[in-house]
This record gives sequence, C-alpha cells and structure tokens, in this order.
Amino acid sequence: MTSDPAIKVRDLRVDYGNFVAVDDISFTVPKGEVLGLVGPNGAGKTSTFRVLATLMEPTYGEIRVAGIDISEEVQAARRILGYMPDLAPVPSDLKAREFLNFHAQSHSLGSRAQCLERADECLATVNLEDKHNAWCRALSRGETQRLVLAKTMLHHPQVLILDEPASGLDPFSRRELRLALQNLARQGATVIVSSHILTELTEMCSSICIMNQGRLLASGSAEEVRRKLGRSEHQLTITVLQNASEAADWLRLKTGVHDVSHTDNKITCGFTGNDEEQTALLAALVTAGYSVKTFEEQATSFEDILVEVAEGNRN
Amino acid sequence: MPRSPSITFWKIWANPIFRRYCQSRLRPRGLGFTLLITLILAAFLFFIFRFNAIYNINIDLIDAERAPIIPLLFLQGVILFLLGTGQVAGGMTAESDEGVLDYQRLAPMSPLAKVVGYLFGLPIREYVCFAATMPFTLWALWRGMVEWQIAAQLYLVFLSSAILYHLTGLVAGTVIKNKRWAFLASMGLVFLLYTVMPQVSNFGLAYFRHLTLYPVFEEYLAFILPRDQGALILAGRSLLGVTRFFDLNLSETFVTLFSQGILSATLVSMLCRRWRRAESHLLGKIWATVLFAWIQIALLGNALPLIRPGQIFPSNEFNRRFVAGGLRENWSPEPAEVIAMAGTVGFVSLAILWTFTAIITPNKFTQLNGWRRARKKGRSSLGVASDPATALPWVAFMTACGAAGWILFTRAIVESRWFPGTEISPITTIAFILVFFTGGIGFQTLLESKGARTTVLVAILLGVVPLLLGSVLATISAKLTALATPAIWIIALSPVAAPSYAAITTLDIVNLPLVIARALPNAFWFSQGIAALITLYLLTHLRHSRRTIKNEA
Repeated sequence: MTSDPAIKVRDLRVDYGNFVAVDDISFTVPKGEVLGLVGPNGAGKTSTFRVLATLMEPTYGEIRVAGIDISEEVQAARRILGYMPDLAPVPSDLKAREFLNFHAQSHSLGSRAQCLERADECLATVNLEDKHNAWCRALSRGETQRLVLAKTMLHHPQVLILDEPASGLDPFSRRELRLALQNLARQGATVIVSSHILTELTEMCSSICIMNQGRLLASGSAEEVRRKLGRSEHQLTITVLQNASEAADWLRLKTGVHDVSHTDNKITCGFTGNDEEQTALLAALVTAGYSVKTFEEQATSFEDILVEVAEGNRN
Repeated sequence: MPRSPSITFWKIWANPIFRRYCQSRLRPRGLGFTLLITLILAAFLFFIFRFNAIYNINIDLIDAERAPIIPLLFLQGVILFLLGTGQVAGGMTAESDEGVLDYQRLAPMSPLAKVVGYLFGLPIREYVCFAATMPFTLWALWRGMVEWQIAAQLYLVFLSSAILYHLTGLVAGTVIKNKRWAFLASMGLVFLLYTVMPQVSNFGLAYFRHLTLYPVFEEYLAFILPRDQGALILAGRSLLGVTRFFDLNLSETFVTLFSQGILSATLVSMLCRRWRRAESHLLGKIWATVLFAWIQIALLGNALPLIRPGQIFPSNEFNRRFVAGGLRENWSPEPAEVIAMAGTVGFVSLAILWTFTAIITPNKFTQLNGWRRARKKGRSSLGVASDPATALPWVAFMTACGAAGWILFTRAIVESRWFPGTEISPITTIAFILVFFTGGIGFQTLLESKGARTTVLVAILLGVVPLLLGSVLATISAKLTALATPAIWIIALSPVAAPSYAAITTLDIVNLPLVIARALPNAFWFSQGIAALITLYLLTHLRHSRRTIKNEA
C-alpha cells in the first residue's frame, strides 16, 4: 500500500453524449507532489477532477487513489479525498463555523467539541478566525474561496483536488494559498490543482500536465513540459567579450539562424532547430574563436504555450 | 485525526444532515414567527370549536371536547403534508441550485443515511409546528375520551403519509431543477391525492385511496366525532375496521401502512440510486417491473372483493348517500358506468406503464457509454438489468401484466351477478391486448429508438391534439350531428383514448345512437390497426438502431 502512487489514472474517458470530454488519458502522481493541470477552457480539466473526486462516473477508466479503486470503494476513497470545486459554493443559511462543523461531523471527525475544534483550526489556517460567526452568504468572493479551502482540508485528506482555488483571491491571499499548499505537500499530502494564473502554478507545482480537447499533451516538470511543447523556434541571446559585429556576421551564415542583430557585446537572433543543433551552434561559435560569455535561450512561457494550444483549437 | 464510527441511518439524532437543518431551520427568529402563527391558529380552532359545542350546540361535555379534533387534524395536515412536502422539495432543489449538494455527495456517509438526514431535517420546522399543535389535540382526545388505540393508529398513518409525501418531495426536488417548480409540483401532488384521487378511486381504483389518510380517517371518524354523530356513521357500516384483499380480511391500518410502505421503499430506492450515481435511472429495471406487477395485483386485490356487494360502483355510493330508503333497494349498476370504470382502469394502468417505461428506457448516450464500458472490460453484451440495456423485454412483461390485470378486472365486473348472462367476448380480449401492445410497446420502442424529443412531439401531436380537436368537433356535433362521426374517428387516433374505446367494445351492454355505435368500433379497430403496424415497424427499427449504437461505440 505504501508504495502505491497517490493517484494513478489509466485510460480515463468521459463522454457527454457525442462529445468526448476526456479521451483516454493516463497519468500517475507520486505522493507529496503538487500537480498542476493546465489547459484552455473545455480541455477536460473539470471533468477529470469530478471523476477523481468520485462525483461522476467515467465512461471507463481505472482510477486508484492511494491504492484504492475509487469505483469499487467509494466511501473509503472519500475519506482520503478533498475536493474544492470551481466557484466554491457555500450554503446561504449557515454561518462559517457552522458550515465547517457540519462537514466535520459528516466526515465523522469525532465528538461535537472535536469537530468544532477542528473547524476553528481550519478557519485559522485560512485566516478567517474573525469571520467564524459571519453568514456564509455575507463573505466576499476571496473569503468564500478560503472558507471552502478550509472545508476541503478539514478531514486531513491525503489527496486534495482543487479546481481554480486561486480565482477571486487577492495577491496576498494567493501567496498564502501557495504556501499552504506547499506546506501540505511537505506534510505528505498530494495536491492536484488547476488554475488560470499560470506563473503561480509553475511556482507552486512540482509537475504539470497540459490538457487540450480531452487529451493529455504533455506531463512532467515545468521544464520538461516547456521543452516538449515549446516552439522549435527559439530566441537566443549571446554575449561575447569582443568582436560582436564579426560574430553576428558569422552567425548570419549558419543554417537555422535568422533575424540577427547586435548592440555592444550582445547579439540576439532567432534559431530554428532542436537542442542538439543548438548545442552544436554554441560549440561552433566557440571553435571559431569568439569569446562567448553567455549563451541564453529565452524559454517559451506557459502563457505562450497555452495561447498556441488555444489558437490551434480555434483554427 | 480520530474518527467516530460511520453514521448509521437509523440514528437520526446523530445524523449531521439532520442536525445541520435543526441548526439552520430552528433559529429563534425564523422559528418564533412560524410557531406563533401556528399556535394562534391551533388555539383559535381549539377554542372556537370547543366553546361552540359547549355553549351553542349544548351537547355533552365529552362530545364537546371532541369537536376540535377534526379541525386540528386538518391544520396538522396542512402543516406536515402541504408545507412540509413543499419545503422538502424546495430545500432539496435549493441545495442543488446553490451547488452545495456536491459536498454532501462527497461525505463518506451511506446513501440511506443521507436520504434519512434530508427527509427528517428539511421539514424540521414543520415537525416542530406540528408538535406545537399536539397539546391541543391531546387535550381533546383525552377529555373527549377517545380510545388511545384509535388515536395511535390514526397518527401512525398520519405520520406514515407525511413521510411518503416528503419522500415524494425529495424525489421531485432531486429531479426538478427549479426550486419554485419543485415546491409547487410536490404540493400539487399532495393536493391531487386528496382531491382528484378519491374521485378516481371510485372508478375501480380503490387501492389508491390507501396512499392517503382517507381510509383510516373514515374508519375511525365515528370514534373521534361527538358520539351521536359517530353512532350514525357506525349504523351505516357493515364491516368495521376491515378491508378485503382478494379473500383476505385485513385491517385498514395494516393495508394503508403496507401500501404506503411499498411506495416509500420505492422512493427511498430512487433517492439512494441517485446518491450513489447522479446519472443513474431513478428506478432499476427489476424494481420497476416487480412494482408494476404488484400495483396490478393490488388494484385487483382491492377491487375484486367490492364487485359482489356492489361497493365498487360509483352510483352505489351515490345511492347509499343520497337516495331515500325505498328507492335505494332498487339500485343496480348502469352499463355505461362499467365502461367508464373499465376505461379508467385501463388508462391509469397504461399511464403507470408509460411512467415506468420513461424511467427505465435508456437514451442513446447511456447506451453508447454502456457499450464503451462493456467493450473496455472485454464484454460482448450489456447486463440485462443494467441502465444502458434495452428496456424492451421488461416493458413487454409489464405490458402483459397490465393487459392481464385490465382484462381480469373488466371480466370480473362484466361477468358479475349484476349483469347476468353477459360475457367478455374474445374480440374484447383482443382489443384490450392490442391497446396495451400499441400503447406500451409502441411507446417504449419509439422512446428508445427515436429519443425523448421525438416522443414528446409525438405525444403532443398524436396524444393530445386529436383529443382536443375531437372534443371541439364533438361539442359542435350537438347541433351539427354530421360531425359526430369525424369527432369519434379523430379522437380514436389518440392512445390516451384507446382504453375507453376498447372498453366500448362491450357495446352489447350499452345503448348508443346507431351512428355512434357503428363509428366507435370502426374507428377503434382502424386506429389500433395502424398503431400496431407502426409498433411493428418501430420494433424492427429499434433492432437496427441498437445495432448502430453498438457499432458506433
């Protein structure tokens, strides 16, 4: 049991009528990892989350959470899963502390006093102690998000599934959320999170999955994904100690190099080619006698990748 | 983190959902106002009826104390049956509307515990208001010297009815997405049960009365009314506290509790299925089929024993209540009455069959997903009773049950002592079978092969429009007799009218104008012939569409 990955998804498919929302995806998330699920609208993220959270039955596919088959042992899976839906709804007729206490009782977290104690702990974790007696309906968007996050953490879930948890949060709260999630991961919890705020996602997540039109395009560390999905055309910035003009002329003659320009000792150019060809270019430049101080590739950002994916869908 | 043992469904007081609603619906501000209104109303009814009996009618004090019992029972019915049911339906829809129902799905509680939590939690304020009226009722029962066994049985059935209606509200709240509609639909259902159903039950559907408080209430009415009024009621009774079920004599309370229990269990099963899987059909195929067969048995079991004494005929009830002694003895049922009863029973059975068929028939996408799942698991067929499997064999069985029940009922009446020498002809039997075949199988094959949208369109164009158009023509035909025949032919197109037309094939027992008597069977056989051909086409088409779906998966 202990060697089981936190989440193992095999051949997951979700259909809504004729529309294939999730198309035979497979992935594994090791324990303690924070996985970011990224993709444009309609990529299949929420469907994947709802299936993982046992809220929806897939067309087919095998999903194991900490070794538990969620279709066979739903109740056991629900004890170790925490799910925060997109837009984080709250009941209008309960107060913040009552809401948490109710869910603590639903998860059988002990006596009434223990449930209340746990509710207070979670309110403190999300900095809502002073709102414990406020009506849920009276909370701001950000406060509501934090309250639902507190609810999700109530029963110490081993796996947290968070659909857009940062939406509506101010930058300070977002930072706190990021730290809280990283802290949970350090304590052994596994987190799957989706977000549109991609820069934060890359800072927060130890690995990333990119989904598009129900398919998994790439998964791995942020760098691996960028390398796999980033453009084959790169922007290079080279700093030489002297003869920048000559080096620029030398570069113009090389295959794959284009749009060369230089200022002082800094040369910028476009380069079309794979990693090996790029390495060969650097080696040739040094062999040609130019004193190369720095050779940098401007990485494709996740925003660029996503925009390209979304534009690809439109086309 | 220490965890308590899982929440068992029968420990209502420990159920978090129940406690959550106790907290939110019993807040002093909201409860206080409702409680105040309830107490004012209960106190008013109690004192006005009590003092009126004491000071204006001048009856014995014990009888006067009984006077407020029925008005208070009515108030309690409004609180628990109407408001409670509406609250349950509306509350359930609100949970789903707010989006918090998903949280409850994720709670590691059994589906039954969740159903119980909502069932008793959502109407908790109405239960408290009901409890607030009880001191007045208890006083009236105690001082009116009503036997405690009678009061206990009455309130047992009262609470069983409340639970049944609240379960109906829960199902309505689960199925209907709009809070206001769910609220109105569930309250409307209770209203219909107490207004329309008693009238329908007079046409051979005595079983449905057991879904209300009426049978037990009427049984014990004599014992909660002032004693002289009670004595009058008792004098007009033959069998006390007993209802006949085929050859069995069963207590009215038992039959009511049993009938309501079966329906409540069905509704609980529906809710548990939805809690387990939000996409599943409300009823499983096996449960629906067994329940349909049971309803047929229950209808016959309650109706057949009433034929010989004549209690099944609506005119007998009218005769017993309103006709003077000498004329009362000469009563005998009218043939037209029998036709109306046979038509009503056939139509109600067919309507139940349509409802069950709509519940268990899979749509195209359920079938597609089922096939994809089966293929992935290396199976070459779908489970016969699974949601994605075809409902045709199950509906065929229900159709056979429905037709058999209808034929047995009609035969029992037509061949009873009230119509000596008459027999159900083979033609009538064929007509009844044909109506169920075209109505049941035709509807199922249409729904499964063409989908819900087409079926609704056909239901409107073929089920409703001919009825309306024919009715307009029939109204004009009062002056313009030439229109009577087209009206009969147009109405015959509607499957809704088919049971009534089939019932009229026992025409030798009615006297109709020649034109109508000739047009009715002709129109019936023609429309049923066409319907049978369409059904056969739909049967072959269903095979084709199922094969297409299988290949598409």
